[in-house]
Amino acid sequence: MANITKKVSWSSRGDDSALTGEGTPLLNGTEIPKPSRQLSGSGSVFRIGRFSTVDLEDDITSEEDPIRGRPKEIPHNEKLLSLKYESLDYDNIENQLFLEEERRMSHMGFRCLEISRWVICGLIGILTGLIACFIDIMVEKLAGYKYQVIKENIEKFTEVGGLSISLILWAVLNCAFVLVGGVMVAFFEPIAAGSGIPQIKCYLNGVKIPRVVRLKTLVVKVIGVICSVAGGLAVGKEGPMIHSGAVVAAGVSQGRSTSLKRDFKMFEYFRRDTEKRDFVSAGAAAGVSAAFGAPVGGVLFSLEEGASFWNQMLTWRIFFASMISTFTLNFFLSIYHGKPGDLSNPGLINFGRFESDSVAYYYYEIPLFMCMGALGGLLGALFNSLNYWLTIFRIRYVHRPCLQVIEALLVAAVTAAVSFTMIYFSNDCQPLGPEHNEEYPLQLFCADGEYNAMATAFFNTPERSVRSLFHNQPGSYNPLTLGLFTLTYFFLACWTYGLAVSAGVFIPSLLIGAAWGRLCGILLASFTPTSPIWADPGKYALIGAAAQLGGIVRMTLSLTVIMVEATGNVTYGLPIMLVLMIAKIVGDYFQEGLYDIHIKLQSVPFLHWEAPATSHWLTAREVMSSPVTCFNRIEKVGTIVDVLSNTSTNHNGFPVVVQVLDSDEPAKLCGLILRSQLIVLLKHKVFVELARSRLSQRKLQLKDFRDAYPRFPPIQSIHVSQDERECMMDLTEFMNPTPYTVPQDTSLPRVFKLFRALGLRHLVVADDVNRVIGLVTRKDLARYHLGKHGLEELQLAQT
Amino acid sequence: MLPYNLYLFFVFVAIDVPSLKCGDVVHLSASESADKLEAVPSLSTAAVSSPVPPVDTVFSFSLLSSFPEDLEVSDYCSDLLHIFGQRYVAYVNCLVPAARPVKVCQSCYSTYGSVVEIYKNISSDQMGPGNVTCRDSLLRSDRLMLVYQLYSNLESLWEDSNCAQCVTGHLESLTNDTLYFMSTLNQTLTCFEKYQQGNHTELCKNCKSAYGTLNVLYSQMEQNSTLCIDIEDAMNMTRRLWSKNFNCSFPREENVPVIAVSSFMLFLPIIFYLSSFLHSEQKKRKLIHPRRAKSNTSLMNIQDKLS
Repeated sequence: MANITKKVSWSSRGDDSALTGEGTPLLNGTEIPKPSRQLSGSGSVFRIGRFSTVDLEDDITSEEDPIRGRPKEIPHNEKLLSLKYESLDYDNIENQLFLEEERRMSHMGFRCLEISRWVICGLIGILTGLIACFIDIMVEKLAGYKYQVIKENIEKFTEVGGLSISLILWAVLNCAFVLVGGVMVAFFEPIAAGSGIPQIKCYLNGVKIPRVVRLKTLVVKVIGVICSVAGGLAVGKEGPMIHSGAVVAAGVSQGRSTSLKRDFKMFEYFRRDTEKRDFVSAGAAAGVSAAFGAPVGGVLFSLEEGASFWNQMLTWRIFFASMISTFTLNFFLSIYHGKPGDLSNPGLINFGRFESDSVAYYYYEIPLFMCMGALGGLLGALFNSLNYWLTIFRIRYVHRPCLQVIEALLVAAVTAAVSFTMIYFSNDCQPLGPEHNEEYPLQLFCADGEYNAMATAFFNTPERSVRSLFHNQPGSYNPLTLGLFTLTYFFLACWTYGLAVSAGVFIPSLLIGAAWGRLCGILLASFTPTSPIWADPGKYALIGAAAQLGGIVRMTLSLTVIMVEATGNVTYGLPIMLVLMIAKIVGDYFQEGLYDIHIKLQSVPFLHWEAPATSHWLTAREVMSSPVTCFNRIEKVGTIVDVLSNTSTNHNGFPVVVQVLDSDEPAKLCGLILRSQLIVLLKHKVFVELARSRLSQRKLQLKDFRDAYPRFPPIQSIHVSQDERECMMDLTEFMNPTPYTVPQDTSLPRVFKLFRALGLRHLVVADDVNRVIGLVTRKDLARYHLGKHGLEELQLAQT
Repeated sequence: MLPYNLYLFFVFVAIDVPSLKCGDVVHLSASESADKLEAVPSLSTAAVSSPVPPVDTVFSFSLLSSFPEDLEVSDYCSDLLHIFGQRYVAYVNCLVPAARPVKVCQSCYSTYGSVVEIYKNISSDQMGPGNVTCRDSLLRSDRLMLVYQLYSNLESLWEDSNCAQCVTGHLESLTNDTLYFMSTLNQTLTCFEKYQQGNHTELCKNCKSAYGTLNVLYSQMEQNSTLCIDIEDAMNMTRRLWSKNFNCSFPREENVPVIAVSSFMLFLPIIFYLSSFLHSEQKKRKLIHPRRAKSNTSLMNIQDKLS
């Protein structure tokens, strides 16, 4: 047995020569590398002239060869691909079981499936709306309570002295909330940290992020976001809504919860990656739509950021889910606000309505807006760069959970301290308006009947601050206040994003942008004292907010629509679009979008829309992994178990080959089988010998595979006795008989396109007589990216 | 400085808007009449072709314009109109001096009552003597609807000023709350007057209780929404006296502790990051060498370098 294990262990240190020399009879793929190596060797000579464009850090490559074999350790950086991440199986496996099931299913059955898709989308919408409602109400209650306590305390101590105690009280309350959220995230479910948008983006791209759509994640996320917003961090609750929506979708569509061990025996047909992915994109859309009250924006967000796979029917369903989600939220919020049945106040964030006379803009303002867009792009790039360095530092040094919690607490305390100091030293006093726009007016040292304007910006939940920046009358803030606020909040928000708390970056970006936008508006009005009417500060606050958000997250289409929908104002469509465009162009010149940075730093093998531009000279031969571990169509159980349990090579897909009997010809490709399938087969002991002896044995159905989905047991948990090891297993029925293959001279962009468009997980590279010579997986493709000096190659690493 | 924004000048808003409107109306009508003055002579010259001075034309025009009996306004109605005019003038005469400091509710509620009364008469559909109602003839006979406009201006003024909160239902007298507030206000003001001469710190100390009571009373009334513009304005003025003139707001005198505490908190993260940089082991990633067909770029690179 040990012998076999050794033979099949294709470890990372795999000295190919030894293995190929041995030429294990079990693995027909082993013999392949030799010719291919020669081939590519000649190819490389042929191409030398063109390779000069490639920069492959010379030190590393030249060192690499002698060291090859010993694992090398380097500090974490962005140029890595983690082995942790696997692909999702978006490609349908058309094996015999599948065909059989399809034959059995009646016309009515397909109808029912279609209807249940709609039902699921409706459920996703309703549940997402309810979650949004819950988050909103909880945040409002907790934050309201907190601010009330602090306000009373400040009022008391303004009179008798001892305001530093109020400061400490504020900091302690903040820390208490953040402690709860931070501990939940850091100790129970680290994947729930951050906004979750990068993770969902990866999921929809086809990367399996462990635990990202679990119920536990949802619970931690929801509680975490409530705590972090109530804890006064510079965060919003909108990003996490998107993640929550996605989790809801993934849960509902499966009709069961593996965490709760409940199976409702519903929607069993949807228990595979392809179907689940569609529902998750609907969930993400529903999340956006609940967060911003923007159903169309939600659909477009799913389209732009998420769904890599799209069709028209799905769009319509996603739109349905979005709409339901917005209006569920509306309905329940209307009950909460005591106006049951009023459906006209959508969105977690409510930007309020812009009055019709302040929305007017003129053609001569367009250049101004565009300048603001450029500024937004610059500031966004600065934000992203700072956050990039901070995140690298965090990954390298602040990786222990307790340290992460402490860091979050410190940020909370500093946020409170900075806010308090700002408010304390602010001299900007404004008279209380008759309509009391200010939720928690702080008087402090202002004259009676006036309030501290700095406090409206800091002493408030971020989204209320955004609203007051948009809508308070001209003159409610003086420029100094806004300038200081922008500066402080910029650094606070930048520091906060990436902490181990669940929190979004939408609202802080909007807030920063709204502050400097309003500042621009005020300054413009002061430059042109004769006609200050056109420079309405609220309008410029909106444009600034759009520019800043665009500069940070670099979304275009969906963000335009979201902003338009959230403000309920189509008139601003054009300027917002222009601003976002400019912000993206300017920002992309310096730095990527925030989400892309975080995806990169997580070492996720993410496939963008296109292959890197200058990669046509790379062929499948250079890209693929080789040699490939293959199975025979009728394979010995022992071999399979050994290959699967080899920890050093965690392969998931195995080409199945067939050896023509009594001939020297190498084996030919006849199918592809997945690890998960093999595990199910082993679990059910589908062995040829057993089938013969026990004729009565039930035939394996597709249902058995679905029941095991998505958490297939590890190979270690499956017991195979010594006798059974000698049995044979017939894979014919279960493998995918028609895997996609490419010839070895296919160029990288071609492979990439195939991979990306079909959502493949494995792509077999075959030669002219259909022998397997290599296997292209997601990581092989994702490692090429266009860096500053041309095409670069990322390295695989264990994380 | 934008007065709309200032609560202190709330009254300006209340008065400004209608007065602006009035201004507009006056201006408009003036220009219209000017137009007429120009238009009429040109007409007459065209028609009669005799050079008559324009004023005369207008004069003769107005003389000529008498309508047959049945279309004319009845005596009863013109009487009503006359009374309405008198009361209107009385009310406006009362309002204008009460504009600053605002006393529009206290001093003019009775005259407002009389205006309301006469307007009710005009707009009622009960028949007067001679079986006539004046509603149609006075209120809705023309596009301008002057009487209605005048009245609705006053009404919106009344509404903006919230005077109804301070006056009893039938516009008979001020409410008890209002009177009580006024007396408390007077106490405070007397106190201010008493100590005004000397050092203001003395005033701040001695009048604090009176001012405090007033403030509490005001915020109570604010919650019960029994505020009218008079009270709001009086309170604003008092607050301004207190805070700006006498400088009795709280001084900012705890700079040192606040700065100390917050800089301590700012200092903590620096320590945290430094210590985690120094003491926490850096997370290393193990590189894995993927199995490739041995064609790879490393080889080429070497060749590249050689060549």
